[in-house]
Amino acid sequence: MSVLAIHPGTYYHIQSLEHAPFAPYFDALVRPENLGWGELERYDVLFIPCRTPADRILPHRDILQRYLDEGRTIISTGESHSELYLPGVSFTPQPTNWWWWLTPGADLGVRAVNTDHSLFRYLPEQDLTWHLHGWFDAPEGATVLAVNEAGKPILYVDDVSTNGRLIVTSLDPLFHHGSHFMPATTRFLNGFLPWMRDHARRRPPEGEGPQG
Amino acid sequence: MSVLFIHSHYNYYNETNSAMGRQDQANSVLSVRELQLTERHFQEATGLITTTHLDQIGFLRFRDAVEDLLDRGGRWIFNGHVMRPLVDGLRNYVPLPSQRRADLDQIRLHPHPIFAGIDQKALEENRGVAGFYGRGHNPMPEGALAINGIGPEQVAVDWVWARPRGGEILSHAGNEFWGCGDDPALKAELLDRAVKWVEGTLN
Repeated sequence: MSVLAIHPGTYYHIQSLEHAPFAPYFDALVRPENLGWGELERYDVLFIPCRTPADRILPHRDILQRYLDEGRTIISTGESHSELYLPGVSFTPQPTNWWWWLTPGADLGVRAVNTDHSLFRYLPEQDLTWHLHGWFDAPEGATVLAVNEAGKPILYVDDVSTNGRLIVTSLDPLFHHGSHFMPATTRFLNGFLPWMRDHARRRPPEGEGPQG
Repeated sequence: MSVLFIHSHYNYYNETNSAMGRQDQANSVLSVRELQLTERHFQEATGLITTTHLDQIGFLRFRDAVEDLLDRGGRWIFNGHVMRPLVDGLRNYVPLPSQRRADLDQIRLHPHPIFAGIDQKALEENRGVAGFYGRGHNPMPEGALAINGIGPEQVAVDWVWARPRGGEILSHAGNEFWGCGDDPALKAELLDRAVKWVEGTLN
């Protein structure tokens, strides 16, 4: 199992991808401009961090499709406009309610669904909650793992649109963790990244059953 | 005279409707997408503004061009956390060891034309929440002047450095300072002053 992460080079990407405690979860980092098939095909999972500028990924749309066609996994996190370069992604932005938690007793409304999914052995529901940036129309047959206050998907796993696996979320944990701000985002990564290592790959090694 | 603004982030839905977008439309700054940057942009600029979303790894390929711009007397406003040696003198960001509310108090340590007449307390909070302005500091180069201090040690969240070789760098260790506070008029004034300071008409 190996993970390649895109490295867009902002301070929060440098802090999150290159430094403790999360650097060991990524086997290699690649600049978007250097992403080629020769590099990509050596890894089982491609991780696209939140706030990756979409115009730096768009030129690689064809090899991302090929990567999925060959049964590999792409994880795309929030504010990266994955709807512009990943198949089957339909995104609707929503105004960010930065201030919801100032109201005593308030609830942002994020909920885990399909709570028997393996992710929730690593990650409690409360660590999904910091902000909302938008929601997805998840494809029929995808596994929705978290929804917003209106019940719209904000995190899902799509094994149906391609031969591979797409894990898509509008949450943006690296931006906040890498800014030393919002402890829930660090807790999210503390659960999500170990889960990624254990379960994100769709294509199992020979002799092993499917993962999920 | 031209102020180069490096446009690093990508917002498919709202690219021009921003305060800096309006500065671009008013020809106060030359906004260039990070991917389209060339050395010539730096050679033709007299000042530079970068944001928290700067690709610091990619920016290193223009290090000599930035040093040249500064050597010619240019000014640069840097927003964000230094995590690469972007030019000589800059060192990596240091977060505050504790970030409780009392640790985020700010104080004006030295006057600067961008902040003249502005109560730093007006920038300390957004809707009663501190931390957006900054939560640490980029260590000051030798000879730099602290403008605004943060935390019990009053480390310089903002400083300005008149380089011995020429030019000035103003470092703000947080989100763009013209986006902080709750007063839209004050934010607009701060951005206007920032652009004027970089172009050399506010001194």
